[in-house]
Amino acid sequence: MHIPWARCFHRLFVVLMYLFMLSPLIFVVWLSFFEDTILFFPPSGHTFGWYKKALTDPAFVNGFITSLQVAALAAVCGVVLGVLAALGIVRYRFRGNRPVNTLLLSPLLIPSIVAGLGIYLAYLQLENLLDMRIVGTYGGLVIAHMCLTIPWTVRLVSASMQGLDPAIEQAARNLGANGRVAFMRVTLPMLRPAIVAASLFSFIVSFENLELSLALVGPGRTTLPIAILQYLEFKLDPTIAAVSAVQILLLGIIMLVTDRFVKLSQVV
Amino acid sequence: MTPTERNLRNGRRLGASLAFPASIIVLMVMVVPIFMLFRYSFNHFDSSVMVEGFTFESYVKFFQDPYYRKVFLNTVGVAAVSTVLALVLGFPVAYFLAKSQSRYKSLFIILLVFPLMVGNVVRAAGWMVILGNAGFVNFVMQWLGVIDQPVRLLYTPLAVVVGTTAIVLPYLILTLQSVLEGIDFSVEEAAQNLGASFPTTFRRIVLPIAAPGVAAGTMLVFILSMNAYATPVLLGGSGITMMAPALYDQITKVSNWPFGSALALVLVTATLIMALLSSWLIHRRYVKTMAS
Amino acid sequence: MAKVSLDRLKKQFGASVAVSDFSLEIADGELVAFLGPSGCGKTTTLRMIAGFTEPTAGTIRIGEDDVTNVPVHKRNTGMVFQGYALFPHMTVGENVAFGLEMHKVPSAERDKRIGKVLDMVRMSELRDRYPRQLSGGQQQRVAIARALAIEPRVFLLDEPLSNLDAKLRSEVREEIRALQRRLGLTTIFVTHDQEEALAISDRMAIMHDGKVQQVGFPEVLYEKPANLFVANFLGKMNIFAGHVESPGRFVTENKLALAIEGSGAAATQVGVRPERIILSAEPLGPNAMPGVVDSSVYLGSLIDVRVRLDSGELIGCQLPNSAAAGARPAAPGTRVHACFRAGDCVLFSE
Repeated sequence: MHIPWARCFHRLFVVLMYLFMLSPLIFVVWLSFFEDTILFFPPSGHTFGWYKKALTDPAFVNGFITSLQVAALAAVCGVVLGVLAALGIVRYRFRGNRPVNTLLLSPLLIPSIVAGLGIYLAYLQLENLLDMRIVGTYGGLVIAHMCLTIPWTVRLVSASMQGLDPAIEQAARNLGANGRVAFMRVTLPMLRPAIVAASLFSFIVSFENLELSLALVGPGRTTLPIAILQYLEFKLDPTIAAVSAVQILLLGIIMLVTDRFVKLSQVV
Repeated sequence: MTPTERNLRNGRRLGASLAFPASIIVLMVMVVPIFMLFRYSFNHFDSSVMVEGFTFESYVKFFQDPYYRKVFLNTVGVAAVSTVLALVLGFPVAYFLAKSQSRYKSLFIILLVFPLMVGNVVRAAGWMVILGNAGFVNFVMQWLGVIDQPVRLLYTPLAVVVGTTAIVLPYLILTLQSVLEGIDFSVEEAAQNLGASFPTTFRRIVLPIAAPGVAAGTMLVFILSMNAYATPVLLGGSGITMMAPALYDQITKVSNWPFGSALALVLVTATLIMALLSSWLIHRRYVKTMAS
Repeated sequence: MAKVSLDRLKKQFGASVAVSDFSLEIADGELVAFLGPSGCGKTTTLRMIAGFTEPTAGTIRIGEDDVTNVPVHKRNTGMVFQGYALFPHMTVGENVAFGLEMHKVPSAERDKRIGKVLDMVRMSELRDRYPRQLSGGQQQRVAIARALAIEPRVFLLDEPLSNLDAKLRSEVREEIRALQRRLGLTTIFVTHDQEEALAISDRMAIMHDGKVQQVGFPEVLYEKPANLFVANFLGKMNIFAGHVESPGRFVTENKLALAIEGSGAAATQVGVRPERIILSAEPLGPNAMPGVVDSSVYLGSLIDVRVRLDSGELIGCQLPNSAAAGARPAAPGTRVHACFRAGDCVLFSE
């Protein structure tokens, strides 16, 4: 653009928009350091004290640990199953290939709250059928979250598989490697970034998820996002800000690591 | 069967069995129950218990009850306003990013992805800090002397719109940015070379070519806004009720599965129809016969 | 159509100078080729003339107007882009109409011009097609028509033929030249292909590292290159290093004596084009250097022969695949004399 002030205005606008999108996070973190017990501007001082409180409060600690464990387990299982499925779909084109692919990606299209209630329904039926508790259990949460991690893994890993240059594996076979060796020693390592990215991304998506877990938690076993939500429905204070800040920090760091393996902007 | 055919068949069998475990879980735990849920919407609710049957009473209740009609309209209204706002605010940012040659570009992109990763609850909490009676905006306005009493910003439709827009904006910017990047820049230069000023180039060349991407981004954003849960609950409170919290409460607090499922079906269907409509409208306006 | 005057154009990006001190006068109706390797600054200069890049220093005049600070869309310099840059969402006809609309040409006149210009490039029948339905060559013709429709004062082409296959390239080249001559268009043609530049231009400017090496008629640049870069970029040249011992006599480092023309006392290199060298069993003329054929490569219409001179140098000769030459193939190991006239020597002092 030839008009210099227009370019300047454009840049200013972009900065404002970024502030708009990031300001909630900035304020949450800032609030977590406020010295007063209730929200009040300007803060009379700053302290780390709330973090100590948050990290020792059993409700939050339980929530954090549960979320961590569920996310980790759902990510691991989801990635394993997802990679196998992606392998099956992309490399071994079987009949019904496409519908299965759509099926595996469908959870991403269903509104989370409806999906969550659907899972709740499924569990209630299963509880009747198998005469055992599922809702509110650890396993129930993990399996529900796998319905998130599997689609994301399939999506990330198939995209990577399809992007692989077939000539590379062919070159390996030309040099004497049989099919299995070529796959294990050449193709699989090339998929490593995508698999690592899928694991980390699945972890994030599972950890921060709310709607899927909402109906599936029980007394004494809840996820961190739900614990935060329930607290916020009553109160807004530096304690909850500190808990939220911990979540922001954790997921932010994992996100930065994931970004080394896959361009996140293309994924979301 | 020739060896090649046998290999192919074995390959196919292997492929199918590899995909089986994942498929079974997703199917049984998520897909089938959704259909069951929708089937429930036709059941009868007898003050506290669901009774099997086939009736439209839940739907009738929804369409006739002014309260739920309002809930629905609130949801559509908030989603529509948020979508339009996101489009208007996000397009310039997406254009800036698409054209940027700066080495900080990947930093800008990461800063967009970052809020998407930390979760809607935490972001809503942030808006509570900003919009609350004791929050930042009120503080600044009082400090500047614009008002002397805090203005009620939180627990209003405005708060939900602001919060929703802030949440969906990064999705839109990322989608649009990738579309705009895909446009061959020399096409814009050619237009200018032929005499079109920048605004004209933008209107006649960039927008039409970007239209399919814009349509897709709009659809995505609209759907996200319609289905929002945490943001309306935390920022709207009792000031405004939306569909997702309403249907959730119906099922978990009142145990009215039929009505809750009916709300869910209405939500999903309406969202889909409106999203497809907006996408089609954008296509029509900008895209001539571009069947690929 | 108008003349173009470039005065000391310079373009600097940060620390690197893409174009420095480029001055040139292009006459009305002339086709000048900017030729050079990638990164020499030819496209940057073209883009400065079109207005996409602002010069760091210097001025650009089209006709009598100083357009250095005039925005792109007001310069009326019709450009054909390397990738054609056709508007994908518009038909051929709409693409061509766009510029006319921008220049506020009334619609009756508009239709006439579109028809005329599409006729010129023989694309009238495909007026309602979309770019993606056209071949590369067809897209290129539409790009040309689109640029010409607005009746630009200067016609700019940025490597327009590089995406076409070889056969098509020479055909289209001829068409562009014919069109340019017929319409009397002042044209600047950027290319890295020397054959193209030689074939099509009235004058050529060879660039290297942002600087103009030589400007002039194609024959002059080829026969009398100003420096070693031009000599080696345009065609091939055998270079002998040495010094001028006396007027008309150049002694190479390997003690070979060459008869030269001219009094270039400061000359340190002498160049001879491969096609000027005649191979004969007996010495012919003032420069007849004895040697042995080292290799002989058959290239269809010509034969590329390397001769190892007795004095040690390896020179390249290009023999036409004529009846005479065919009758006496130069087989490796044959003793020959490499002969050329004094006038075939080009002197350099670098």
